[in-house]
Amino acid sequence: MKESLMDILACPLDKEPLDLSATDTESNDDDTEVLAGELTCTECGTVYPIEDGIPNLLPPDMRE
Amino acid sequence: MIDDNSQDQSPSKGGLSEREQRDAVRNRYASIAQTEPQSGCCESSSASATTCSDDSDTLGVDSQRLGYTADDITAVGEGADLGLGCGNPTAIASLEAGHTVLDLGAGGGFDCFLAAQEVGKTGHVIGVDMTPEMVELARENVEKNDARNVEFRLGEIEHLPVADETIDVIISNCVINLSPDKSQVFREAHRVLHPGGRLAISDVVMTAEIPEDLRTDPESVSGCVAGAATINELESLLDDAGFEAVTVEPKDDSHEFIREWSDEHDLADYIVSATIEGRKPV
Repeated sequence: MKESLMDILACPLDKEPLDLSATDTESNDDDTEVLAGELTCTECGTVYPIEDGIPNLLPPDMRE
Repeated sequence: MIDDNSQDQSPSKGGLSEREQRDAVRNRYASIAQTEPQSGCCESSSASATTCSDDSDTLGVDSQRLGYTADDITAVGEGADLGLGCGNPTAIASLEAGHTVLDLGAGGGFDCFLAAQEVGKTGHVIGVDMTPEMVELARENVEKNDARNVEFRLGEIEHLPVADETIDVIISNCVINLSPDKSQVFREAHRVLHPGGRLAISDVVMTAEIPEDLRTDPESVSGCVAGAATINELESLLDDAGFEAVTVEPKDDSHEFIREWSDEHDLADYIVSATIEGRKPV
C-alpha cells in the first residue's frame, strides 16, 4: 500500500484515522510502498496488520 | 465445502444466518481464486452440492456478453477477468482523469484495472474484498498490469476501511446481492463518497419470487441468485441511505447468460442483471 493513500484509510469499526507503523518499505518514484507493518486506530486502538503490501482491514471478528 | 446442517441455524430472510451467508460467499470465492483463471463462475450449481471448482468444465461467462468490449478484455493482463460479473460498471461510471474510485468486492481486479486506465496517473483505484485468496490474486495482477494507481485492501463492504468523503465514484459488479446487510452497504457507500459522488453498479435484481429450495441453498446464495433484491427494495434502500437521482435499469439482454448459470433452474425467471446508479447530494 502507498503511504500517500493513508488519508483515504480509516478504521472499519469507528471510521477514525489510523496510525502507520511500517517495518518494511520500498521507495517507488515519489511515493513509499509499505510492504509490512501495522495500522492502529487512533481512537479504539484496534491493530490491523499489513502483509505483502496488503492491509488487512477486516473487522477483527472476520479474520480467520 | 458447505456444511449441510448450516441451514438449521437462525435463518434470516435469505434462509441463512448472516454469518452462514458470509461463510458461503467467502468459501466459494476463495475456491475460485485458487482455481485457474476463467474456470470460475457466478453461476449456481443449485441444489446439487457441487462447488464452483468442481464446475471447471463450465467456463465463466464470456465477458463480451456482459458488456465489455474486445479492447477492454485485451487491455487487462490475463488472470484478472474471472467472468464473475453481470455487467460492466466502468462503462456506466463516466470516469475522469484524477478520480478516486472504490470497487466494492473487487475480486481478481478486472474492473479496477479498467477503471485505472480511465483515471490515469493522477487518479487512484481502490479495490476492497473480504476474501484473502481473491485479494492475493488481485495483488499478483497489479504486477502483471504494472498498475501503480490501483491498490487492494482486505475489507468488508459493510464496514468499509475508508475515510469519510474521499471517493468520487463507487463501482461494483455482481457483489452487493451477496451481502446479508445491503442497507449497511449503501449507508457506507454514501458515507465515503464526496458530495456529488456517484454509484455505478452492475448487479442482479429479483424479478419474481425465488422458490424455497433455491432461496435456502447456500450455493444459490453465494452464486448471486438467492440474495438478489427487487428493484423497489433497491430503490428504497438507496433512498434511505441518502442517494438522489436513483435509477435501477434491468438489462433484458442479460437473460441469456443468466440462464447459463444453472442447469437445473431457469434463473431468468427470477433474476435479471441491472445497472444501479445514484448520486450523493452536493
